[in-house]
Amino acid sequence: MGLFDGDIMKYEDWNKISRIASRKSLWMVHFCTGCGAIELPPVMTSRYDMERFGMGPMATPRQADVLLITGYLTVKTLKRVVNVYEQMQSPKYVISFGSCPINGGMYWDSYNTVKRLDRYLPVDVYVGGCMPRPEGVMNAFLELMKLIDEGKARGWEKYQKYYEQYKRNQKMAFNFEREKDEGA
Amino acid sequence: MKALELIGKGEEMHGRAYIKSDKEEASSIIKKLKENGFDHFVMLSCVDWIDNNEFELVYHLWSYEHKEHVMVSIILPRDNPSMSSMHELFPQIETYEREIHEMYGVDFEGNNRLTPFMLEGWHDMPPMRKDFDSKKFAEDVFDSIPEIKEEEDEGI
Ligand code: SF4
Repeated sequence: MGLFDGDIMKYEDWNKISRIASRKSLWMVHFCTGCGAIELPPVMTSRYDMERFGMGPMATPRQADVLLITGYLTVKTLKRVVNVYEQMQSPKYVISFGSCPINGGMYWDSYNTVKRLDRYLPVDVYVGGCMPRPEGVMNAFLELMKLIDEGKARGWEKYQKYYEQYKRNQKMAFNFEREKDEGA
Repeated sequence: MKALELIGKGEEMHGRAYIKSDKEEASSIIKKLKENGFDHFVMLSCVDWIDNNEFELVYHLWSYEHKEHVMVSIILPRDNPSMSSMHELFPQIETYEREIHEMYGVDFEGNNRLTPFMLEGWHDMPPMRKDFDSKKFAEDVFDSIPEIKEEEDEGI
């Protein structure tokens, strides 16, 4: 009975329509970490103008769909990022910029940056480079829209499904000292 | 150079005055410089000369009047380094002292804000000391965090 289970429209069809709608109005949280924040003003303003894809900056995570991780993340920032991510409403997507969130980048041996973002948050699209140019960033947005269209951008579902694993990893990063002390 | 004339010692180094001093003398030198036009405190930096087993604190001052940069350098032993705080002379020194206390473990007597500053929940050795093995630390902490194990995807 109802809209979703076959009476009016099949669930898959409904899903498809909602995906088409959501990919055309992606709003991103204004949350910048690391060096990549510098590449965003040209992307947002008239030079590359991401408004033409229906993307815009949004000041509050509760109304945003995309979280951009624009560079290296320290453990301290990761705490805030997780807070922001969990406040966002589903469906939500994560794009990570640069080599730092992929494998640590030039901070591979640093004591305070987390090396691989995908162990703490589900990432939908990676942009390589140190730092990616605005063209690369635009390309990532288009890629994300394509993935949404095909129903492949499912990071947020993964986060729900493997919530315990993500939480465990986050806690390990936040409490590394305490765990070490207890272990010793 | 003006600063060298004022203090009566030191040398010129890359266009800057470089004055070596010791713990006791330093605050009087900086006070004298401040009273004679060097009234911009630029920064306080610290160098870890691990081979000589010493820390070098460098107080950088600038004078708009003489257009001159002066560095006052103090050598401290690496074990239990301590220095007297100079935040009465320039209030902003307090922040630099907090940072150096956190990153190098140098104690500043008279500064009562030496609380945790930028690092959150840090209990290891101060991380900017050269004997802190950043690579090993990163391997221990971050490589031990497991990947997310996913089951086979079955589509939406
Ligand atoms: S990938 Fe390069 S540009 Fe990006 S945050 Fe890391 S160091 Fe900075």
